[in-house]
Amino acid sequence: MGGAKDSKKQKIEKVNYPKLLRELSKLNDELRFFTVINENVSEGVPFSVKDNLCVKGFESRAGSKILKGYLPPFSATSVERMMNKGFGFLGKTAMDEFGFGSFGVNTDVVAKNPFDDKCVAGGSSSGAAVAASVMKNHVAIAESTGGSISNPASFCGVVGFTPTYGLVSRYGLIDYANSLDKIGIMARSSSMVRETFEIIKGRDGYDSTCVDKKVSALKKKKIVVIDQLMNGVSEEIKSTFQVLLARLENQGYAINHVSFDFIDKAIPAYYIISMSEASTNLAKYDGYKYGMQYGDFTKKYNEFFTNARESFGTEAKRRIVLGTFVRGASVKDKYYTKALKVRTALTNKLAGLMKDSFILSPTMPITAPKIEEARKLSPLQTYAMDALTIPPNLSGFPHVSFPYAYIKGMPVGAQLVTSHFNDYALLDFVSEWEKSFEYQFKHNL
Amino acid sequence: MQDSEFDRLLAVCRLKLGDSEKAQIKKDIDSILSYFGTIESVDTSKLEPSYHPIEVEERLREDKVEPFENPDALLKGTKTYRFYVVGPEI
Repeated sequence: MGGAKDSKKQKIEKVNYPKLLRELSKLNDELRFFTVINENVSEGVPFSVKDNLCVKGFESRAGSKILKGYLPPFSATSVERMMNKGFGFLGKTAMDEFGFGSFGVNTDVVAKNPFDDKCVAGGSSSGAAVAASVMKNHVAIAESTGGSISNPASFCGVVGFTPTYGLVSRYGLIDYANSLDKIGIMARSSSMVRETFEIIKGRDGYDSTCVDKKVSALKKKKIVVIDQLMNGVSEEIKSTFQVLLARLENQGYAINHVSFDFIDKAIPAYYIISMSEASTNLAKYDGYKYGMQYGDFTKKYNEFFTNARESFGTEAKRRIVLGTFVRGASVKDKYYTKALKVRTALTNKLAGLMKDSFILSPTMPITAPKIEEARKLSPLQTYAMDALTIPPNLSGFPHVSFPYAYIKGMPVGAQLVTSHFNDYALLDFVSEWEKSFEYQFKHNL
Repeated sequence: MQDSEFDRLLAVCRLKLGDSEKAQIKKDIDSILSYFGTIESVDTSKLEPSYHPIEVEERLREDKVEPFENPDALLKGTKTYRFYVVGPEI
């Protein structure tokens, strides 16, 4: 990795870009995880960027047709910091449109799982997870709103780290929900994640919500398992998770099972807040300022704007409708304001549980489903898949998903959560875990 | 949600849906709103809303001009007249 100047040069020499680009292009034809590959990259440790982060001069459309052709005149802060450290920008990775999805299927470029190409890669950072899985010496910059890093990290068998809300600048992010979006990292190991985190975190004058707090590494020897979170988990994952808990117990952790009666309300509260914010954020795509050009200026503004918005996918339209409705004056207190208060209640309770403990759960209730199965799920069935990843995301707690088992050849991740700004403790935990557990990968570019 | 109310909502959203997409979204909306309503059961009587998950202090940049290195790039891909973006008539 390119953190220290002296080690960077040594690593740069190891990257054979012509070979990597050739193999990557071939594999991308099969797995469709990059939307754009930078054929001109020639040096630096490779890093990829989720399609909702702006990269100067490279099409950045957040998986949406409405931003087709948009070439940002600037790069996101996190991207610029990586480039300034000498990393090589490899390309943009596939995602659900604007992050609206759990399986990477709500877009025109559907990434396939590297362990089984009939299965989804997860979502919404689908392409980032595949890229992290198939390349040995690479790091993916991704983004999570309600689980978009943990979820695909679990399905693709990589480490997926979502920092405390506000630690990484969101400048240059094509936003989904401002109070929930967090830029994070995916890679094959916690050490690669840590080095990247060191580079991209820290105050940025271009993001007023970006904080410059000291990040701690307070190790906890207790692990809390919330019983209600296990309700929707498949039997085979429950079984492997018990083995993980037993293993951690042997390593000296005390495991405490606790009840949290309203944890299930995190899902509706999250979707109310995220759809509310998304419905206003998407109003800036009007068909003439950037991206797709609707072009018929004979139409008056309202008709022009309405016609341009036909380019959104169905899930985006559904979220605009619902987000607009729940913000309406007559129901705002019932839905939007109430959801913000539920977030307070959940944050307080989770913070209390994590005073001297980590929270651990499986990352996803299932292993990666088949692409066609995922397409058939109703919106509520899909939202329910986020039951384990939403609580820390809603409350901005840092969390990491790491592979801990394989079921019928498919990877399974566990998700560890800690208090705000105790991010290093998560990476220390996974680093320890990696000493006794070997991750498996199907491709080795 | 009544059809008339749904149509009014679509008009507020500035969305025009095809028949099958409209039927699909309309079909789900009642069950989703009913699900959203379940948060009512959480006792939040003594709590304030969290607009952000962490405390975000108000911090503004100094009010000074920062020239953009390549202003022409901002208009690339749009229809322009002099240094203005051309848009539809209001």
